[in-house]
Amino acid sequence: MSRKPEEASCRLTIDGREIVVAADTPVIDAAERLGIMIPRFCYHPALGAVGACRMCAVKFLDGPVKGLQMSCMVGARDGMVVSTTNPEAVDFRRQVVEWLMANHPHDCPVCDEGGHCLLQDETISGGHALRRYRGPKRTYRDQDLGPFVAHEMNRCIHCYRCARFYQEVAGGRDYGVLSIARRTYFGRYEGGRLESPFAGNIIDLCPTGTLTDKPSRYRARRWDLERGPSVCLHCSLGCGLTVGARYREVMKLEARLNPEVNGHFICDRGRYGFGYESRPDRPRQPRVDGRETIAGAALAALAEGLKPFEAGKVAMVGGTRSNLETLAALLGLCRDQGWRPPVFFRDARLAGAAESAAAALSGDLVASLADVGRADVILVVCADPLAEAPMLALSLRRAARRGAAVLVLDHRPCDLPCEAERLTFAPQELAGCLSRLAHAALRGRKEAAAYLSSLPLPPDLLPETALALDTWGKRLAEARFPLVVCGTDQAEPTLPALAGGLARLLAGSHDQDRRAGFLPLLPGPNGLAAALAGGGDLEALLADIEDGRATALLVVESDLLSRTPEPERWLAALRKLKLLAVCDHLPSPLLEAAHVVLPSRTVFEAGGHFVNQEGRLQRAMPVFSPGLPMGRTLREGHPPRLFMSCAPGSEPRPAADWLKDLAGLLGAGGRAGDWADLAAAFPGLPGLAAGPAPENGRRCLPETAPGADAPSVAKTGSPDVPPDHLQVLLVERTFGTEELSCRAPLLAASAPEPWVDLAAADAGKAGLAHGAWLLVPLPGGPLRARLRVHQDMAPGLLLLPRDPRLLWQRLAGTGVLVELLRLHAITAEEEPAGEDTTLEAEP
Amino acid sequence: MSLWLAGLALLLVKIGLVLFVVLTGAAYLVLAERKLLARFQLRLGPNRAGPLGIWQPLADALKLLMKEDTVPAGADRPLFLAAPAMSAATAMLIFAVVPFGDSLTIAGRPVPLVVADVSVGLLFVLALSSIGVYGVVLGGWASNSSFSLLGAIRGGAQMISYELPLALSLAPVVMLAGSFSLVDIVSAQAGCPFIVKQPAAFLIFCVSALAESKRLPFDLPEAENELMAGYHTEYSGMRFGLYFVGEYVNMIALGCLVAVFFLGGWRGPLLPPFVWLMLKAALVPLVLIWVRATLPRLRFDQLMHSSWKVLTPLALANILVTGGLMAALG
Amino acid sequence: MLPEMVKLRRKGEELLEDGLGLLRPFATTLGMLFTRPITVQYPEEKRVLPARSRGRIILTRSPDGDERCVACFLCSAACPVSCISMEAATREDGRRYASWFRINFGRCIFCGLCEEACPTLAIQLTPDYEFSKATIMELVYEKPALLVDHGGKDPDYDFYRHAGVTEKGEKGSHVNEQEPVDVKRLLP
Ligand code: SF4
Ligand code: SF4
Ligand code: SF4
Ligand code: SF4
Ligand code: FES
Repeated sequence: MSRKPEEASCRLTIDGREIVVAADTPVIDAAERLGIMIPRFCYHPALGAVGACRMCAVKFLDGPVKGLQMSCMVGARDGMVVSTTNPEAVDFRRQVVEWLMANHPHDCPVCDEGGHCLLQDETISGGHALRRYRGPKRTYRDQDLGPFVAHEMNRCIHCYRCARFYQEVAGGRDYGVLSIARRTYFGRYEGGRLESPFAGNIIDLCPTGTLTDKPSRYRARRWDLERGPSVCLHCSLGCGLTVGARYREVMKLEARLNPEVNGHFICDRGRYGFGYESRPDRPRQPRVDGRETIAGAALAALAEGLKPFEAGKVAMVGGTRSNLETLAALLGLCRDQGWRPPVFFRDARLAGAAESAAAALSGDLVASLADVGRADVILVVCADPLAEAPMLALSLRRAARRGAAVLVLDHRPCDLPCEAERLTFAPQELAGCLSRLAHAALRGRKEAAAYLSSLPLPPDLLPETALALDTWGKRLAEARFPLVVCGTDQAEPTLPALAGGLARLLAGSHDQDRRAGFLPLLPGPNGLAAALAGGGDLEALLADIEDGRATALLVVESDLLSRTPEPERWLAALRKLKLLAVCDHLPSPLLEAAHVVLPSRTVFEAGGHFVNQEGRLQRAMPVFSPGLPMGRTLREGHPPRLFMSCAPGSEPRPAADWLKDLAGLLGAGGRAGDWADLAAAFPGLPGLAAGPAPENGRRCLPETAPGADAPSVAKTGSPDVPPDHLQVLLVERTFGTEELSCRAPLLAASAPEPWVDLAAADAGKAGLAHGAWLLVPLPGGPLRARLRVHQDMAPGLLLLPRDPRLLWQRLAGTGVLVELLRLHAITAEEEPAGEDTTLEAEP
Repeated sequence: MSLWLAGLALLLVKIGLVLFVVLTGAAYLVLAERKLLARFQLRLGPNRAGPLGIWQPLADALKLLMKEDTVPAGADRPLFLAAPAMSAATAMLIFAVVPFGDSLTIAGRPVPLVVADVSVGLLFVLALSSIGVYGVVLGGWASNSSFSLLGAIRGGAQMISYELPLALSLAPVVMLAGSFSLVDIVSAQAGCPFIVKQPAAFLIFCVSALAESKRLPFDLPEAENELMAGYHTEYSGMRFGLYFVGEYVNMIALGCLVAVFFLGGWRGPLLPPFVWLMLKAALVPLVLIWVRATLPRLRFDQLMHSSWKVLTPLALANILVTGGLMAALG
Repeated sequence: MLPEMVKLRRKGEELLEDGLGLLRPFATTLGMLFTRPITVQYPEEKRVLPARSRGRIILTRSPDGDERCVACFLCSAACPVSCISMEAATREDGRRYASWFRINFGRCIFCGLCEEACPTLAIQLTPDYEFSKATIMELVYEKPALLVDHGGKDPDYDFYRHAGVTEKGEKGSHVNEQEPVDVKRLLP
């Protein structure tokens, strides 16, 4: 018998006020909705209740439950009458807090939690102002938990939040609770770095100073931070962040609750991917021909320099890490001046994949991260969640823990923190495999006929893999809420469209209330907006520069020289340019080559809007004004004793402002540059017209995609890989490869040593062992890296991370093949022969 | 012609002398007030500028002269600049009609020891005290500051309220002297000073005059702890100095008037007339300082109450009684 | 007596009382005029102020000679005029300290709230009030000028002997602490 929704809600009275909530909502939550904050330590909305701390005691005066009860453990029922202020409950809570404090060290002054410590708050609000217990206190030895988390076990109140998050939510195995009774200990069996890439969340979760942020340890109090809501820029998911800055430097980032996106948590790449804003080598002063100058002079020089060029020979490169305002200014500039359309993506394949993913998206189909947790069968195609969008992995785990099946179709050894079924194919076979799967899923569906006939032919498959694909298809077809995730970083241009088409047809296959979702992963935090804006790709642009078809280049917040596999070719091409202007806040070799350098602001200083992979418009607030961090302006050990109207190094301006002023100088007729212009620049995002983003963002995609019902999918050809050759694929890793975060000193210093991946079959053939140092002969010179050998990886591939610590740019081209047998193991000390290019060297 | 010139010269000499005496007197009255107040409060008072601080007034004047003269943004500039002068000038003008002694005979000609023996001298004094209100009200209004404006409003209300009992209290004096001229009033007290005949009028006059002078306990227009400095909050340097001087000149003038109206003016045995006048005139400022050291500030309603419900009826009754008695005694 | 008479008499008494109430203060103030002033002739004469008077601020040291201040920011948070600023840092031996510490005495109102807030008894106000300066910038005191080499009013207290952190001594070695728990013991 199905219950109607209204039966599922109940009415209860808390402190004399009535509230209607869904039945079984924890009473502590119901009270919070009334604005009554019942004290708590162990309860957390994302972790649920365990009743460990006894702090949330309230008195149930009437209803199905009576007496003193833990409000986190009791689900709401009709007719409950609850008092949070009943003397018995108040006294109980006061005693609990006194017990908890009995062993608590006298640490607050040197404890980084002080100032935002739940224990402090509950102690004071609980009325325990004076210590009565004077006996000796229990102590623990602390552990070194790696570079991010500081451990001070004396302060623990045994609420189990950390262990529950680490093991249940994040799927980590190396941290948890040890021992029993008064020896209960939260830590690892042995000290060492926390392995989970989500470990940083236990800092936010711990209600005491037991687990605190190590990078900002002993640096600032919460109340002194300039704090503001922001958005993470380290992948396309756009998780919510709270920035905390002090003295013109980001101190720490914390997760900001955004229920539809990241929930309460973020990954460590987002949490520790800051610090590029305060790098000593960050460009802060406008430069013309190598000489520092002031903003107006640099702009005038650029405008003057641009005048002699034919409009068609001026090219612009934009970055997907720029905010929407910058992208709009860039598009407007190119359109008004008649320049070539701006280029955002590194090659035609990525541009194609991003555009096809963007085209397949529509409001009725797109899935948010929260939707991932609600789905019951999830197909992940050509995506490595932990590397490309780490928080997706956490959502997959949430889904898996609710019983969803996670099906991964990829060529990489995707590591997931949850149970998943895997099939590995070479990247060029994925479309074919998906086609087989789609045939199985949509068999006999009339409306799918057009789609199915447009699919590429499946490759020759082993019978058991073919069978597995067919079963997956059937499971998707039968699922209550099937969801397709598709990456773009490695995908053939047609693959996202294909995956999106499958999702769309799955949605329409049953009765009305069945839904399906599509979640593409896009390159960069504003990848969707860039993909919708279209434009060429960098490879094509490179060819044009070489041929003299483009003679002036403006690069805005794109790190093309350190991100390209062909740096030498680019350098030569850049030398051919008559004018190169760069607007960026990251230090890069490109700045050295530029004629005009315009320093831009980081997201922490400029804020701005970003559209994530589900078309959600989100806003980052400017948190502090740019300037050299106080620590770098000290004289005789203290800040200079001066009155100044602005701090040194405060010249950077938002990139959008540079571009708007440039447009003004070029005579674009004084564009207002207001929100309406911005919205008009992205016709693919009609929701922009409704204005800037509200707190948790707003979806801006059109409700239905144009031509979405019959995705036309071009057939792809597979490259010929000669036998005994390996295709070298550039891949992302969780840490150390993403454009912004690899410039973050914290992550750069602590990211695990980079490695290359090889399938076990290939390694066996070449006689290479897991963990060996490998010398890879690349066209630009040899590369030395540690090898990891994987069983579950497509053979014929060598996965090379774009990690600046590796000389991966020696790849010197795309589609590079290396002979398997020319790989060989070396000793750790052996240096790779061949000249060192300075390009890869990162400070 | 030469007579006329000599008369003018004489007048100028008299004005100069009076101003000199009055201004010096005011300056040292300031010192006296600070010293006395200090002693009332167990302090020493200014004692650094010269022996016993006798150069303090000079130092203060120098300081005020050298301070920046600021005019607030949004102030009504001409009014703002003129108001302090109005306040000081009205106070000083009173001395024009105060007789400092009987007439001297210089070069065979009688020289009256008064700048101007106006036949309506008493009315002139009252008129001046009415004009004095403008100095306060316009200064406060022109400052474009809420504190100043509040001070000015209070000042206006207070001074207008107390003008009534002030004028009424003098009616019996005029009735007894049979003249408005201050010289005649002094002459009329040749036998017995009016304070003996008119004790009630004397009291009413003193209280009303105290209120007119806006000093404690009647200093509501500049009540520091409510209005910063009331109507002269925005004034600095010598313009503030003018208000300041005005207040102290006013105190001396008050002393002179009390002496003239009730204490027999310059009349007295042994000592020369001028000294007698000065002695009598000094009495009032000293008492005012004592009052300031003793009494707290009134509430505004108490202020109004005492004027309209106590002093004014009393003064009216006093006129009736005086008139009745005069009629009865012929 | 007639009730009216009683009333009248009471009225008269009241009036007399009021009149006296008005006059008595005059006698009091007059008396003061002939009392010896209490003024002290500074700077020729100087008063010795009590130890707890609130003048120039110092940063004191613990009995072992180490800086007491742990840069906890409580004083700067308590300061009503925000005249204390500092930056916290970690010393090589792990001790939390202020890498720079600045008090702008041009702004300080000597309220003593910083001293009350300080959990380590580091910041203390002293009776010294004679430190006016010719230029206002000289009133901005840096740490070397604030730090003294004694313990001020509380010479014996050492915060790190009471805290649980290991800056001074291993776990279990501070005042009133048990031996650290042996996590791997198997006994119940
Ligand atoms: S955890 Fe909280 S209560 Fe405990 S020492 Fe730290 S700030 Fe103080
Ligand atoms: S370490 Fe923190 S989160 Fe974990 S149990 Fe202790 S107090 Fe709770
Ligand atoms: S005495 Fe008061 S004003 Fe001065 S530093 Fe301390 S808290 Fe701030
Ligand atoms: S309160 Fe005390 S310990 Fe904390 S920063 Fe101020 S002086 Fe240092
Ligand atoms: S919050 Fe309910 S027992 Fe901890």
